[in-house]
Amino acid sequence: MDHIDMNRLKQGEINLGTSIMAVQFEGGVVIGADSRTTSGSYIANRVTDKLTFLHDRIYCCRSGSAADTQAIADIGHYSLQMQTQVIGAAPTVLTAAAIMEKMCYQNKDQLSAGIIVAGWDKKNGPSVYNIPLGGGLFRQPWAIGGSGSTYVYGYCDATYQEGWGKDETVNFVKNTLALAMSRDGSSGGCIRMCVITEDGVERMFIPGDQLPRFWEGKEILSDVTKKPLAAIAAVMDVAPMAVEV
Amino acid sequence: MDPSFRIVPASAPKSASVAETSNSLGLHDTLRYGPRTIATEIKTEGGLKDRLHSWEETQDNMKLTMLRNTQGLHAPMRMLMERKLVSANPHMPILPQTNLQLDILMGRDEAVETSDVFLGPLNGPPLDIRHDMEKKHRI
Repeated sequence: MDHIDMNRLKQGEINLGTSIMAVQFEGGVVIGADSRTTSGSYIANRVTDKLTFLHDRIYCCRSGSAADTQAIADIGHYSLQMQTQVIGAAPTVLTAAAIMEKMCYQNKDQLSAGIIVAGWDKKNGPSVYNIPLGGGLFRQPWAIGGSGSTYVYGYCDATYQEGWGKDETVNFVKNTLALAMSRDGSSGGCIRMCVITEDGVERMFIPGDQLPRFWEGKEILSDVTKKPLAAIAAVMDVAPMAVEV
Repeated sequence: MDPSFRIVPASAPKSASVAETSNSLGLHDTLRYGPRTIATEIKTEGGLKDRLHSWEETQDNMKLTMLRNTQGLHAPMRMLMERKLVSANPHMPILPQTNLQLDILMGRDEAVETSDVFLGPLNGPPLDIRHDMEKKHRI
């Protein structure tokens, strides 16, 4: 947890040290997050929902200070609601992302928030926007964020392919998050995912005992204790060169 | 309206000011407020006090700025014009002052706040009506 900039987080503040992710595919986006909220080394909430509703087809993934991201998400949700009433149609994902980016940039000296905004809208289809710590806005086909993301950049770069359908994308998100959660101390618990398409939002939940498992090492300790016995047995089999009678 | 997306009030270091005790010439009014003292003029950092004092204003300002950015300058302009129209009170500043229209526009018509329950008006009946009217019309 030392790689989080502790100067930004005030003493003992609740931290969403996290792994979050959003990937665009043909027809929609898949967003996912782990479920751990920490305060120092205490896990304040092990079943957190970091996928926050902004609008009917627009969600955001939150990482960083829990309070800061909740405040920003509330303001974003409110603004999008009001705008929907005025313009009479659903806002675009770009609008939502721009609102979040304005909040993050103009308050950058007081906030510690990394947000990924993703969703579907009629004008542009599916899109993913990454808003990292400084408050910049970047549109990407896939985006990862949070403290756990640093461990899986290589895996994502090596695995991602364009033109995937829904199932491959869900698998990609699931595997990436599982890898990040297994290496990062501030990520863990279960995986929550949302698939956002024109037709609706489908929530998925993978409990902690059903996460995909990768290399976890073998039980090498028992080999070490066995070795001396095998060595002794080998010595016994060798016929002595000379015997003193 | 200050075009800023600040969510919480910024703690700005304040300097000394004579504004509150000034007479019409801009100087400290000794007759009314006593001799000028440095202690009253140096505004130390309020910290929590300033933050709470400007909380509502900051939130309101943020919402107006959001309106300006999403809908155009006309949107906050109209809202501020409506508030100004409704605040125009031709009466003299007498004690019980309630402005229901302003409360409705500010969204606090159904809220019961501490100021409604505790501690009535800060000052008693107006002792200097001329001064109060001057202040109100900013003469």
